[in-house]
Amino acid sequence: MKRLLAIALLFLVILVFGWQLWPEEPTTPTSYAGLGESTDEFRQAQPGTVLRFPEDHGPHPDYRIEWWYLTANLAAKDGRHFGAQWTLFRQAMAPSDPQPGANETPWASRQLWMAHAALSTPEDHRFSERFARGGVGQAGVKTKPFDAWIDNWSLKTVDDKSGFERLVVTAGGEDFGYRLNLDAQGPLVRHGEQGFSQKSADGQGSMYYSQPFFQVSGEVWVDGEPITVTGRAWLDREWSSQLLGPTQSGWDWFSLHLDSGAKLMAFRLRGGGETGKEESYLSGSWITPKGEIMPLKPNELSLEPREYQSVVGREVPTRWRIQVPDHDLDVEVRARHSNQWMNTSFPYWEGMVEVSGSNDGEGYLEMTGYADE
Amino acid sequence: MSAAASSVLRTTLATLLSHYRRHPGQLLMLLLGLWVASALWSGVQAINASARESYDRAEALFSADLDRIERRDGAPLTLEDYLALRRAGLPISPIIEGELSLSSGKSDGESLTLIGIEPLSLPGSAPLAQQDGDADSLRNWLVPPYRVRVAPDTLEQARTLDDLPPLEIASDLPPATLVTDIAVAARLLNMDRGITRLVIAPKYDVELPSAFIRTSTEALASPGQLADSFHLNLTAMGLLALVVGLFIVHAALGLALEQRLGLLRTLRALGVPARTLILALGLELLLMGLIGALLGIVSGVILAQLLLPDVAATLDSLYDTTVSGTLNLPWYYWLGGVAITLGGLFSAGASMLWRASRINVLGLGQAQVWRARLRGQLRLQLLFGGILLAGAVFLWWYLASAGGQQDLALGFTLVALLLLGAALCLPPLLAGLLGLLARYLPRRAALLQWSVADLQLQLPQLSLAMMALLLALSANLGVGSMVGGFRLTFLDWLDQRLLADLYVRPAAEQYDDLEAWLNERSEVATLLPARSTEAELIKDGSNAGSVALFGIAPKPILRNSWPLLDTKDSHEAAWQALTTGSAFINEQLARRQGLEPGDSVQLQGPSGMTTLSVAAIYPDYGNPRGEIVLPVSRLAREFQAPPGTLGVVLAPTKDRQQTLTRLQEALNKRFRLTGENASGASLIDQQALKQVATEVFERTFAITRALNALTLGVAGLALLTTLLAQAGARRAQLAPLWAIGVSRSRLVMLQIGQLVMACLGTALLAIPLGLLLTGTLVAVINVAAFGWRLPLHIFPGQLAMTVALAVVVAVLAALIPAWRLRRVPPRQLLQEFAAA
Repeated sequence: MKRLLAIALLFLVILVFGWQLWPEEPTTPTSYAGLGESTDEFRQAQPGTVLRFPEDHGPHPDYRIEWWYLTANLAAKDGRHFGAQWTLFRQAMAPSDPQPGANETPWASRQLWMAHAALSTPEDHRFSERFARGGVGQAGVKTKPFDAWIDNWSLKTVDDKSGFERLVVTAGGEDFGYRLNLDAQGPLVRHGEQGFSQKSADGQGSMYYSQPFFQVSGEVWVDGEPITVTGRAWLDREWSSQLLGPTQSGWDWFSLHLDSGAKLMAFRLRGGGETGKEESYLSGSWITPKGEIMPLKPNELSLEPREYQSVVGREVPTRWRIQVPDHDLDVEVRARHSNQWMNTSFPYWEGMVEVSGSNDGEGYLEMTGYADE
Repeated sequence: MSAAASSVLRTTLATLLSHYRRHPGQLLMLLLGLWVASALWSGVQAINASARESYDRAEALFSADLDRIERRDGAPLTLEDYLALRRAGLPISPIIEGELSLSSGKSDGESLTLIGIEPLSLPGSAPLAQQDGDADSLRNWLVPPYRVRVAPDTLEQARTLDDLPPLEIASDLPPATLVTDIAVAARLLNMDRGITRLVIAPKYDVELPSAFIRTSTEALASPGQLADSFHLNLTAMGLLALVVGLFIVHAALGLALEQRLGLLRTLRALGVPARTLILALGLELLLMGLIGALLGIVSGVILAQLLLPDVAATLDSLYDTTVSGTLNLPWYYWLGGVAITLGGLFSAGASMLWRASRINVLGLGQAQVWRARLRGQLRLQLLFGGILLAGAVFLWWYLASAGGQQDLALGFTLVALLLLGAALCLPPLLAGLLGLLARYLPRRAALLQWSVADLQLQLPQLSLAMMALLLALSANLGVGSMVGGFRLTFLDWLDQRLLADLYVRPAAEQYDDLEAWLNERSEVATLLPARSTEAELIKDGSNAGSVALFGIAPKPILRNSWPLLDTKDSHEAAWQALTTGSAFINEQLARRQGLEPGDSVQLQGPSGMTTLSVAAIYPDYGNPRGEIVLPVSRLAREFQAPPGTLGVVLAPTKDRQQTLTRLQEALNKRFRLTGENASGASLIDQQALKQVATEVFERTFAITRALNALTLGVAGLALLTTLLAQAGARRAQLAPLWAIGVSRSRLVMLQIGQLVMACLGTALLAIPLGLLLTGTLVAVINVAAFGWRLPLHIFPGQLAMTVALAVVVAVLAALIPAWRLRRVPPRQLLQEFAAA
């Protein structure tokens, strides 16, 4: 669900460039950054769509937005905690490619790519951002073998296979870098109805599946100094053409590795309904250690902010209480430190969290739409 | 102010102004002076302001502050190069650039520059961030039908092009430039997978694969910087015109005051307070100033519009900068024009106000009261002039001893001190000259004696016009000598440097074949290969910026012709040293870095650090950058310079042109070198090259000469108006002569003779002053502006021309008053005699 962020990010890229991406007059009430506008010309995510692999690991150019989103909780030998994020976003700017034979050059493409990489250290947070157009090969995703790349950042198979079983991810910025080997210890999981994940009471949603069972080993670089790390990672795949309800304003999204071996994905979409003042839309998935998935309905889940901290001038909840009564879960989720702000074209909070209570663990939290005060 | 006081002021002002109703000629002259002064000045300023605005736009262009990356082997960049570098993690961005010719019926080769950018990778794409308020978007930019951005002054031309995406106004773009997405540019310029250049933000200090070379943005000096010296030149000329024009104003005001002295005294005697009188005179000045400034600025803008195409062409050929062909004047330009005219007027009128404020009410009858103090005034002028000249000498000494990089502004200050000092010294010197003349003239030549004495008497009125003439003449002489000297040196130098009959620039992949093919041909006597590349200059352990490296083949024909300014030993030894590891440097580099033959330079090239000993310094006119010459083989080996041009020297033949044409045809047929083809290969005839260089040169000084001629015209006008203004008074002095029997035609001749004498004296002073000025221009201004020094050439013909010009101006200026005198009826002369 963090993935909603992606669209907003893309919009804000545009804002930063000074463009107004969608020229249509917004309807009232206005959805956040126009994310809820109808997009008739694009294909829509629908219940009943059957996911097929490895084809669905690759891009879906007829949908407006899509991402390959990896988060990793890592630890050095001395016990220090690190967190890594690697995200590749795709956005289609037009519903169809330029007419074939219309005398177009390789530069002509309707696909826009954006990527974020971040490394959280015990003390601070480092990140970098990349953009590219499709068509020329500067960024893209192939399935045979699987390779997702932008510039010199990539997420790809190590053994020339097409699945997500063994991957290696690399990225870096001016003052950080990482190279991590990912080894899948469980199956892919389809969220919602066999991969269709509803995002608001109105019914719109996205296609959404994950590989939450990666075991990680590799190296991170902090100011050029290499540190050997091991840990757990979670890869999300999601695509859609219209994610938000017209009045939803932001979201809080969790991906948690519990020490029992179970995993929890949970999100809260704030606002919604006719006026934007309605209750948040809650949803999630309970994933057993074997990879069986149980969708969580809004009334089977509770997400409650417990403590706010000021991060670059915004009040952001950094301590939460999460309850999933059916699975006897009642935990406190706390940011390892509050300074995990992504000051990218569109700023958001994304960072490593620790879990304590009925079950200990760790994971990632993403929060968007917290206004500058 | 009370009602009574303001009524007094009104009446006083009306009374003062009524003078001009009786003497419209004076009013005309005053306005004329103001008009020419402010017209030339504001014309030049309009050109400068407009060009500056164009540079600002060019510098704000995204690519202006980015480093460039090219292939070391000189091959054109491709999409594959871009991808290889991006996938290696280098934050580079591609740019496709080319010319779109405006083919709409015109064949004069006018074109617009089309720049295709990739906004997603372009560092700080500022021009794209411009918000136009309407629904522009990144999506509009990136997907069909796309968008093209264009400055308002280029919109009209852009509309004549077919196949362009919808146009958007972006006022901060440079003129004659279209900016669009790289996809559009690639299609319109038929680039497919080709890329014109790759850029990278200077802040990224990344390691490039060895196949690529990076040129820092600092090496590519900004257009504004390069053309600064040119504009300073224009400003100096404008300032000269302003000063000369203000001389006219000063003369006119002095005359108007002198003739109104009686009136002023009467007013004072009638009870008008001195303060009211001064206030009224000040208001009169302000009124005149505003009218003059308005006239001047309007005609200045017209003048600028006439000159601008030439200026734009000059700047384009000299510095490769595009200046908009239409004037774009910021608001401060208009304000500045009025301010400078009013300021000039008040500085010219200050002495009038001061004198008027000290009028002795009882001084009735003593018409020209300050003339008694003439001697004192002359001494004062001599003193001030001497101080200014001493200042000039000191500045010269300072600039000479400072050496190295010289300050252009100080150079112009030196010129200003020199000119003003000499102008101030002119009247006392003329007076002294006349005194000497009077002493040594034969006693019996009474008429001659009289005319010298009479000229002495006229000197106070004439001196300002003479000063203006002196300035104009010496500026004319100075600039003329410099341009002449430059032409002589430059054309010589071109002949020496452009040895080959034909210059071939093959594409990288055909270079070796082409060289071998040419070597086989019997009509080819020698091949002169040349290459160029860049390296970083290291000074005291730190990077002192990049420097151009030029590789030549030191063959005998080149050795015998290549000019050297300074060598350590003999020329032969220098060439020997070049082949054994030393280098030649150009004059610009030598001056900037304070290098002499025997010194050494350190370079950081692709294969590490190299230390080169300087064997010689060579002249390199017209090149703004420092350059180092090495043998071409060494440049290719150690600095990985890409293949460059091949100079083809033909064997002696009966019909050179025919041989050349046949060789060109053969080359074209075999290697497809027609014009500029896609791979960048080309073929240039030496004569065509020389012609282009000469054209550039001629254009450089076209404006200077035009302004110079105008200045001289203004000086002639100053002289004429002065003479016209006092013609009436002069007749009263001539009348007694007529009365004692001197014929009118004799009197006319006497008058012309007097003026020719004065102008001749001025011209004789202008000659040394002009030579000094030439020396300053050549040794100080040029060095500071361009980095090279010209040999000082003196053209006796030009000196004679200057003297002749002075005489012509004198005769022309004297002709109208003289002609009037001839036609005055004797009866009137009788009356005037009686009045005197």
